[in-house]
Amino acid sequence: MIHLRDVTYFYPRATVPALAGLSLDVPAGQFCAVIGANGAGKSTLCYTLAGFVPHFYRGKLTGQVEVAGVDVPAASLAAIAGQVGLVFANPFNQITGARFTVREEIAFGLENLGVPLDEMRARIDDILSFAKLTELAERSPFALSGGQQQRLAIASVLVMRPPLVVLDEPTSQLDPIGSKEVFAVLRDLAATDEATVVLAEQKLEWVAVFADRVIVLHEGRIVADGPPGDVLASGDLTQYGLQPTRYTQAARAALAAGLRRDSAELPVTLEEAVEYFK
Amino acid sequence: MTVNYGLYVPKQSGIHSLHPLTKLAYLGFCLAVSWVIPGTWTPYLVFLLGIVPLSALGQVLPNILSGAFKAVLPFAISLFVVQGFFWPEGTVLQQIGPFSLKEEGLFFAIRGAGRILMAVSTFLLLSYTTRPDELTLALGQLGVPNSIAYVILSTLQIIPRFQTKATTILDAQRSRGLETEGSLRVRARALLPLVLPLLLSSIVDIEERAIALEVRAFGRQGPKTSLLVLHDTPWQRLLRWLLLLAALGVIVWRIYAALAPRFLS
Ligand SMILES: Nc1ncnc2c1ncn2[C@@H]1O[C@H](COP(=O)(O)OP(=O)(O)O)[C@@H](O)[C@H]1O
Ligand SMILES: [Mg+2]
Repeated sequence: MIHLRDVTYFYPRATVPALAGLSLDVPAGQFCAVIGANGAGKSTLCYTLAGFVPHFYRGKLTGQVEVAGVDVPAASLAAIAGQVGLVFANPFNQITGARFTVREEIAFGLENLGVPLDEMRARIDDILSFAKLTELAERSPFALSGGQQQRLAIASVLVMRPPLVVLDEPTSQLDPIGSKEVFAVLRDLAATDEATVVLAEQKLEWVAVFADRVIVLHEGRIVADGPPGDVLASGDLTQYGLQPTRYTQAARAALAAGLRRDSAELPVTLEEAVEYFK
Repeated sequence: MTVNYGLYVPKQSGIHSLHPLTKLAYLGFCLAVSWVIPGTWTPYLVFLLGIVPLSALGQVLPNILSGAFKAVLPFAISLFVVQGFFWPEGTVLQQIGPFSLKEEGLFFAIRGAGRILMAVSTFLLLSYTTRPDELTLALGQLGVPNSIAYVILSTLQIIPRFQTKATTILDAQRSRGLETEGSLRVRARALLPLVLPLLLSSIVDIEERAIALEVRAFGRQGPKTSLLVLHDTPWQRLLRWLLLLAALGVIVWRIYAALAPRFLS
């Protein structure tokens, strides 16, 4: 689904590359989390997958970027639009403002793709219930809470059924309740196995729960790549400006205090921690 | 907050349920007649016979009257003063000090105000009885570019949010001790800390909005569909053509009437 080979990218006038020789392959159906400190290049990677690097931000891109069979640097943004769905942090800025209700806002992308009316209605009803927005369907998108708006942004992208869905820190501007609502939707998305998902995220506890694979970015490079249990429990995280989950921290503290002896598998989720501390 | 459709006044009326282009054609016809057919009182006659009954049917007559009054009054006053008193020559009706009110100027001002009244009231009648998204959809089907529809609709919705944001920033700056009330100088000095954050965040906003639109295939060429369905009927289509022809007829007749004497002599 994703095939990146030696991708190096400089923003216009930048002297340091935002992506530095990055190679990555993601098979269809995988839920891949990208973690890394601020400035590590997560957003740039997301924009590259969706074609906004280089088509929108310009700058200099070298290497191979192929997504859903599309040669991204060679294709137009309009051609990529149906193939890659992008959701980013600010929910308000993702509302088009060109439609007056939640239902119509979700329809916007389908209208632009020319989806026939009957199919459009059916798909919208499906996605409304998936994102738990059915009751809000006739409300103004601007009347929703941040968490609801972000679910709307996700639904608006998913309804277009892009082979690849990219989410760039979708909960970083939400309150804890809103974040929880959004993660609930993402967990359901991970469970469907239909879409391929790339999620840039700093909240590692959530990443640990539903990602198939975790990639650590540092200064535009991939420095770790593997199953969440391995990557998130690794001792290297702090070196890349990341905090292990509190469950891993607790286990490590217990280990240091001599309360536990088995250092083999440190827990990264609540469930694993319960198991670990039994 | 429920859905906010700008000027639209939601009512159940025959006027509301007309196809937007039918309304547009009718109002265009009224506007053409009122502007083109000579006579000081023509625009007022068209207003009384063409706009008032439809406004009443659409249950928006009070809105039209008060809206038109507020919008036209300043123009009417300045027209009256400038044209009435500064008309180069003509029948003097009234001498006020060094100024003389002339009949020709007065009639010119009355007609000018009438034309503005018609322009404003047709715009308001359309806006009060037509949902903006229905109007832009109808225009889009006529071939008006999508981007124009986007600008109209998003402006209606995003400007009020922009105002909320300005208030938030103002409150934040005020809580940091910025003085925003008082003399003109104090207020002018308060403007920069308000405008700058608004402007900077807007640049980022616009960039992100452009990306979000592109993700939703807004830039895609080719046929588009619409969740919103406009109700149209054969007789409305016929009526639209007739109104368009009539409006063109009035304009052509007027041009002919103005030019013919010169050709004939
Ligand atoms: N629009 C831009 N123009 C120039 N440099 C940028 C731009 N956006 C990000 N960068 C730079 O690229 C690097 C990676 O940033 P980014 O991808 O936003 O990281 P992250 O999302 O992980 O915080 C940073 O050094 C950042 O300063
Ligand atoms: Mg980022």
